[in-house]
Amino acid sequence: MSNIAVFIEQRAGQIKTVAWQMLTAARQLADQQGGEVWAVHLHASGCSVNEDAARYGADQVFTAEAPAFAAYDSELWTQALAGFIKEQSPDVVLMGSTAMGKDLAPRLAARLDCACVSDAVGLSWDGGLVIKRPVFSGKCFAEVTSTAPCTIVGIRPNAFAAEEKGAAGEAVTFAPALDEGTAKAKVTAEETAAAGQVSLTEAEIVVSGGRGIKGPENYAMIQALADSLGAAAGASRAIVDAGWVEYSHQVGQTGKTVAPNLYVACGISGAIQHLAGMSSSKCIVAINKDENAPIFKVADYGIAADLFEVVPVLTEAVKELRG
Amino acid sequence: MKIAVCVKQVPDSETRINLTGPVPELDTSSFTMIINPYDQFAVEEAVKIKEALGAGEITAVTVAPQANVREMLKKDCLAVGCDKAVIVDDAALQGADALGVAKALAAVLKRDQFDLVLFGIKAIDDDSSQVGVMVAELLGMPHVGYIGNLEMGDGKLTARREIEGGVEVVDSSLPCVLTCGKGLNEPRLPSLPNIMKAGMKPVEVIDCAGLGLDASASHTTVKMYSPPPARGECTMIAADDPAAAARELAQKLRDDAKVI
Repeated sequence: MSNIAVFIEQRAGQIKTVAWQMLTAARQLADQQGGEVWAVHLHASGCSVNEDAARYGADQVFTAEAPAFAAYDSELWTQALAGFIKEQSPDVVLMGSTAMGKDLAPRLAARLDCACVSDAVGLSWDGGLVIKRPVFSGKCFAEVTSTAPCTIVGIRPNAFAAEEKGAAGEAVTFAPALDEGTAKAKVTAEETAAAGQVSLTEAEIVVSGGRGIKGPENYAMIQALADSLGAAAGASRAIVDAGWVEYSHQVGQTGKTVAPNLYVACGISGAIQHLAGMSSSKCIVAINKDENAPIFKVADYGIAADLFEVVPVLTEAVKELRG
Repeated sequence: MKIAVCVKQVPDSETRINLTGPVPELDTSSFTMIINPYDQFAVEEAVKIKEALGAGEITAVTVAPQANVREMLKKDCLAVGCDKAVIVDDAALQGADALGVAKALAAVLKRDQFDLVLFGIKAIDDDSSQVGVMVAELLGMPHVGYIGNLEMGDGKLTARREIEGGVEVVDSSLPCVLTCGKGLNEPRLPSLPNIMKAGMKPVEVIDCAGLGLDASASHTTVKMYSPPPARGECTMIAADDPAAAARELAQKLRDDAKVI
């Protein structure tokens, strides 16, 4: 029997959608072994996850309320979750491979001497838990096994589909012991990007531009297509290094690895380090003048034409279709 | 100020990954090894801090077979401003997981006591983004991850870090662990005379026994590797009339692929 705890991440009260995806994955895993799924949520006030967490498969929903959980604090949140793990002894802990999860998971693992595996895209049982994860930004995959009594697994956003189970979970509150005097680093400000901007790693659709856009002034065309699709705007390393776009937009082995439902590559030839960062996307569209560009080898749909003649029309067509 | 920079040698990002053997393993024969690109930002930041203070000492630390990494340490660390290097070389650490490596690094860092410990945000081979955070925990230090900007103060620092859809500003006391991302600085290139001089800088090689370290600290093992799933054929849309092609694409994405 294996009990699985799922960390339900919130930032400023907003729940990360990867939480529901993880609950679905946890439910399937637990059912194969006859274990339970526990949702764990830290919040500052007015928690509303109980029903949602149960709907996506949690048997029990553990919530803790404290003013300290209004904003992320590495040390205090680690204390809270470490306390929970020690108390409840889950066999597996799932958390999103998000900025917060990547901060929390390794700290918890080092504190509790647990196994820690990040960016999982597949979970199965074969003797023990087998975790599949991309390495070299997706140029290949590794299957990792754990020998520790507790394994903390970071789950890549969008790798699993969320499925409603319609079950009724039991709501449990807990009060973690927090030593507020121990925090040595403090978040003093949070600057959110402009409203409507979608984060690359969580986006369901990504539209990226490469050298084919010819100059920084034309990135607006990429952004316009992204906006019409409700997508995040990405970029190749070439145009980031050229200073046309900020680094935070870079997709690839030395940028962000993304796996959205739809990836639209505009004027990107498909250098191997770029392909590494996006070739797990479910549907890939390539628009490039050079019909021999490597990007077409990973694409599902291709248009070998001048992107300046395609992208603006595509933007209009998308607007019409999406009404 | 004593600064440590933890570095790793990885295959170049242009490397193609081939698998070999009955239980697929990485074929490392064609690898061109380089310093992990993110670690270069960490090295550069350390050198900039030392230059700004006009004093200090920078130690580069790595876990690897020494013969493999001496050149990298010389060219990419010592020749650009690090003062010395420590290599933890022990056969028992081959295949160590993030926690195993973190414990080895932490043993060195505990022994030598640093005010600031810098890492790259991740290594571009195993992509785990774990070791820096684990080292912070093992040393009882705070850490700030994914920093894109850093201001040093007296016994403290302020860093800006990227999060989904925004930026966090974090204040931390020293000692502290930072993981460095692209955009933080422009790593300098080593000059030929500096590479020559770097050969004279001290490099210590130490094993687990020398650090009083239990090498069996790893909890995970890679069982096998697999290639990425094959992708289907690309449907090329005739582009004689690019505008018509664009409209056809939009229709296909909605009706066939059902992604918009």
